[in-house]
Amino acid sequence: MTKANNMPRLITPLVLALLGLILFGQGTYIHAKALLAQVLLERAFARTIATGHPVKPWSWADTWPVAKIEVERLHASTIVLAGSSGQALAFGPGHVEQTVDAGERGVAVYSAHRDTHFRFLKDVAIGDEIDVTRSDGKTFRYRADGSSIVRFDQSGIDPLTDRHELVLSTCWPFDALTSGPERYLLHATLIEPGS
Amino acid sequence: MTIYDACESSPRIRLSRRMRIAVFFLVEGVLALVIGFAALFLSFDSAWSAEQPQHAVLRPSEARSGSLRLKTDDGYADATRLGIDVDLTVSGPTVRARVTQIFRNPTKEWMEATYVYPLPAGGAVDTLKMVVGNRVVVGDIKEKQQARAIYEQARQNGQKAALTEQERPNIFTNSVANIGPGETVLVQIEYQEPVQQNGNEFSLRVPMVVGPRYNPKPVVQSVDLRADGNGWGAANTDPVPDRDRITPEVLDPATNAPINPTNITVRLNAGFPLGEVKSHHHQVKIESPDSATRVIKLAEGPVPADSDFELSWKPAAEKAPSVGLFREHVGNSDYLLAFVTPPSVEQAQQKPLPREVIFVIDNSGSMGGTSIIQAKASLMYALGRLQPADRFNVIRFDDTMDVLFPAPVAANSGNIGTATSFVGALQARGGTEMVPAMRAALSDTNRDDASYVRQVVFLTDGAIGNEQQLFETISALRGRSRVFMVGIGSAPNTYLMTRAAELGRGTFTHIGSVEQVDERMRDLFAKLENPAVTGLSAKFSEATADLTPSALPDVYRDEPLVLAAKLDKLAGSVEIKGRIGDRPWSVTLPLANAAEGKGLSKLWARRKIADAEVARTTRQASPEDADKTILALALEHQLVTRLTSLVAVDKTPSRPAGEPLKLAELPINLPAGWDFAKVFGERPQQPAAPTERRAEAGDGKLQVAALKRPVPVATPSPGTVQLPKTATDAELKMIAGMILLAISLLLLVFNRRQMPN
Repeated sequence: MTKANNMPRLITPLVLALLGLILFGQGTYIHAKALLAQVLLERAFARTIATGHPVKPWSWADTWPVAKIEVERLHASTIVLAGSSGQALAFGPGHVEQTVDAGERGVAVYSAHRDTHFRFLKDVAIGDEIDVTRSDGKTFRYRADGSSIVRFDQSGIDPLTDRHELVLSTCWPFDALTSGPERYLLHATLIEPGS
Repeated sequence: MTIYDACESSPRIRLSRRMRIAVFFLVEGVLALVIGFAALFLSFDSAWSAEQPQHAVLRPSEARSGSLRLKTDDGYADATRLGIDVDLTVSGPTVRARVTQIFRNPTKEWMEATYVYPLPAGGAVDTLKMVVGNRVVVGDIKEKQQARAIYEQARQNGQKAALTEQERPNIFTNSVANIGPGETVLVQIEYQEPVQQNGNEFSLRVPMVVGPRYNPKPVVQSVDLRADGNGWGAANTDPVPDRDRITPEVLDPATNAPINPTNITVRLNAGFPLGEVKSHHHQVKIESPDSATRVIKLAEGPVPADSDFELSWKPAAEKAPSVGLFREHVGNSDYLLAFVTPPSVEQAQQKPLPREVIFVIDNSGSMGGTSIIQAKASLMYALGRLQPADRFNVIRFDDTMDVLFPAPVAANSGNIGTATSFVGALQARGGTEMVPAMRAALSDTNRDDASYVRQVVFLTDGAIGNEQQLFETISALRGRSRVFMVGIGSAPNTYLMTRAAELGRGTFTHIGSVEQVDERMRDLFAKLENPAVTGLSAKFSEATADLTPSALPDVYRDEPLVLAAKLDKLAGSVEIKGRIGDRPWSVTLPLANAAEGKGLSKLWARRKIADAEVARTTRQASPEDADKTILALALEHQLVTRLTSLVAVDKTPSRPAGEPLKLAELPINLPAGWDFAKVFGERPQQPAAPTERRAEAGDGKLQVAALKRPVPVATPSPGTVQLPKTATDAELKMIAGMILLAISLLLLVFNRRQMPN
């Protein structure tokens, strides 16, 4: 076998290896972005509470932190961004438009990726306490009291309800690789008003 | 990578020098291939995000400023907008629009409501009617401050009051004071608008959404609006709900994008036999009572208010009428509206001048999703249309900016290739700093070279709040350049686009979907490549005319010249003169033959007001003078402007308690499909009366039924919340990457075994 004949044999694995690395890199990048953004958001949110004005986490951001969700039992905590556009969701959970703020009458809906910020959602059990701190520093405690699986366009969430509710939403099923129309909803009701 | 290199190095040591060079080139080839693939994957990424229509629509804060805000003593609550009905009547050259919105106060307290909504930039708002519970209020035009004071007074006295204010020429706010518990509010706005004409095609557009605006610096206006003592600024107990409205650093108040069921009906009386009638973004049903009339309705009942409604119609004849002349007599004056389409004169032997085209593309975050795809496709098309003799450059901007070539370069295949790959790699992210990009586009380095026509093609959604700064930049720096605005996406800021194009003496093209890219860009290029009609003037033979636009703009191929005039008498004729390319052209229209039109005086006044605003921008008139002109016109013609508002304070006396309100007494028409008894729940009749006119409009029906309930109970699913997509493809990518790596490793091992060393 001549040496020239070796080249195509090397090229195929090389190309495949590079492609593999690029794909793997992109996947890691999504996670890295999600992690790093939370650090910056944490800072911005602290300043938001201190100053009383929305603070952008980085100067070119099109969104800003509006709340912090904590589940003490799971040691999970994450900063919520205004709006639930795809761009915002890459950095943190989004406060779904047209829903009220935490602590208000109605349903506050927060949504995040199942494989990054709301990965902990599958471990939240009924009865768990969820704390939501708003950007004015007030913290509201909710208790998880139900879960449901719905289509994204038939969430059944009534934004006009008289109760004080919280819904955390993420993609369902949790371990699927591709995105589908189904969403997992964790319902919670206010038990301790703002302090 | 290093691992594999190490594996490969042992056989390679024995390679001759020549072979090594060959290997080097091969590896380079492979790398190039990989980079190509990487680019492919990146573009897949943006296509991926484009599959989320709900994201393109829902963006921070727009929802809350778009929906009705109800104010109580201890904060704010949200009310649901239950439905919007848009009723348009096209009579020849004008559109009369009636927009009715129904809200309810679901709480047990008395409320004040404020909401923000978009209207067409050329629209003249002249009527406000409001039914709050069972009170009918009709709006009156007043100076802005005065109107605000009247409203405040009424609010404090516990009277019901309504106020319509202009925030931007295409964005309005309504406030309603003292809405009782469980009451329903019905708001009706009417406006007048000229029909758009382009070549053979006539069109109208109803804006449904105002995208959130990027504000590079605090916009003083948004503070003005709220800090005027109506309590908006003092909501300290719970500032969060409207923080985005009162804190200018983050977002303009002028934002709006609710998912609200909207019904649209268009009565089209074109005045000539109609050919094709087409709705661009919505499914419609079209009825044809006669050849010149059409009734257009939405095919599937109410739709979410998430993309602008666009309707176009063509005459049955091959060629659209090239001249239209309409008149209206109001008071002591006659008003005239003329449409004249100059003939398209083919340049015989003479070749058109080569062009220097500067393309500017907005790749800010607001362009994410389908907008950036449309923008890129449009720009790719434009690059493909350049002639070898042309010069061009490409500028992209978000909150940063890149100019592709240091100076405009020849449109040879190499340069176009560079530009194509530059554009292909663009991704939507970051803020929108439009002014520096416009400044860069207008900086004319070859000013002395008159052999080139200089054109700037600016692709953006115009989602900025500092419009005035952009206008000032254009009017100060335009020089010989002409600015062609291309509005991208389902709801671009048309006011910004039209005004910028006007100041830049170019045109505005709207591209609302990917399918429209080819057709609209072809039209635009017909304009770019053909000589404009310049040096236009109009002369009236007998009448003394107050003409608008006062300086007639240049007109591009297939565009009509639209002019409005106020005349002391309807006699003689008007002669319009200009130059098409280098040939003189003129046309004379006899005024006596003008057809009767409706609402022309308002269009004239609106146009005059726009002229005054332009003069103010370009410093041709002092701000005081311009404001005086605007105020006089607005008060005379009952128009809402920057300086005037409509205010209504309980003019119609309140009804005695218990007396039912009859349908006939209601001075405003309920939208088709809304049943009066169900809306107000006061007529003691069987609920299943056969008055439910539109049974197929399921959404509307359900919601009207919900209105009847005295206390807020759960609304059925139409009011439900849409949930965003919440999965990334990170794991999919990582797994695919691992599989590819494993395969390559296997192949390598396999290869080595095969090698007879």
